[in-house]
Amino acid sequence: MRLLVVDDSNMIRTRISKIVQDGGVGKIALVGLARNGVEALRIAKATHPDVVTMDLTMPEMDGMQCIREMLRLLPNTSILVVSALNDKATAIAALKLGARGFVAKPFTDDELRLALLDVMEAH
Amino acid sequence: MQTLSDHELRLFVDSVRRYFDTTTAQSAQITSAFLGTAPVPGHQFTGCVQFSGSYHGQVLVSMPGPLLRELLVLQHATDLSDANLLDAVGEIANTLAGNARKGLGEELKISVPTTHQGNATLHPTLRPHPYAITLRWSHHPALVLVDMARRG
Repeated sequence: MRLLVVDDSNMIRTRISKIVQDGGVGKIALVGLARNGVEALRIAKATHPDVVTMDLTMPEMDGMQCIREMLRLLPNTSILVVSALNDKATAIAALKLGARGFVAKPFTDDELRLALLDVMEAH
Repeated sequence: MQTLSDHELRLFVDSVRRYFDTTTAQSAQITSAFLGTAPVPGHQFTGCVQFSGSYHGQVLVSMPGPLLRELLVLQHATDLSDANLLDAVGEIANTLAGNARKGLGEELKISVPTTHQGNATLHPTLRPHPYAITLRWSHHPALVLVDMARRG
């Protein structure tokens, strides 16, 4: 499977990449890193990721808008939201837009691995 | 401008604790929580998130370089440049503000973080006496300044 990581923080992009590269999440290859929704859409159009980890609070285009646009362009993409906005209303709103899962920041490596496995299994 | 309740302030203290417990498996010690007198002395790297909607103001997270470098290493980072330390403190401010929103209500809107480097003092924009939370993690000091108020 192909993975795109979308987050405005380099610390989070690096951490998710490292967790994936360390194994434990099946056969998954990182195809791109994006700092905002605009970059994410550009990379997604070129790489057709199967799974995307998506931050919500980002400059230029936020995660909610990006989920909407990405699923319009690539409806088979599975999106896992990874956000500090951990209230129920935000999670429900993201799931209603078509996201397949939600991980609240801060997260442990295992929490992210398990959430990625769930999303990949459902893909 | 309405002052914050103990419950509202506790949300930030809890967010700080949760951040370090979850990310590093090493608890932060909250060393004090008090009404600061502006300007408040900060550390070398500061992240700021602005609030709008049901609250206004900002939360500032100020941390020294050694703390951020240790935190980055624990999160698998190898690039410990100042740019990455600024990115990290901004992300921490974003996480604390985002988590606090769970208790403050979904009408609270938070901005993307801005960051600042330098041993400058922190200047609250809203309250002459902002709420200061000092902490210590892995022998390093840090500061969270809650400079916000409820609307209405």
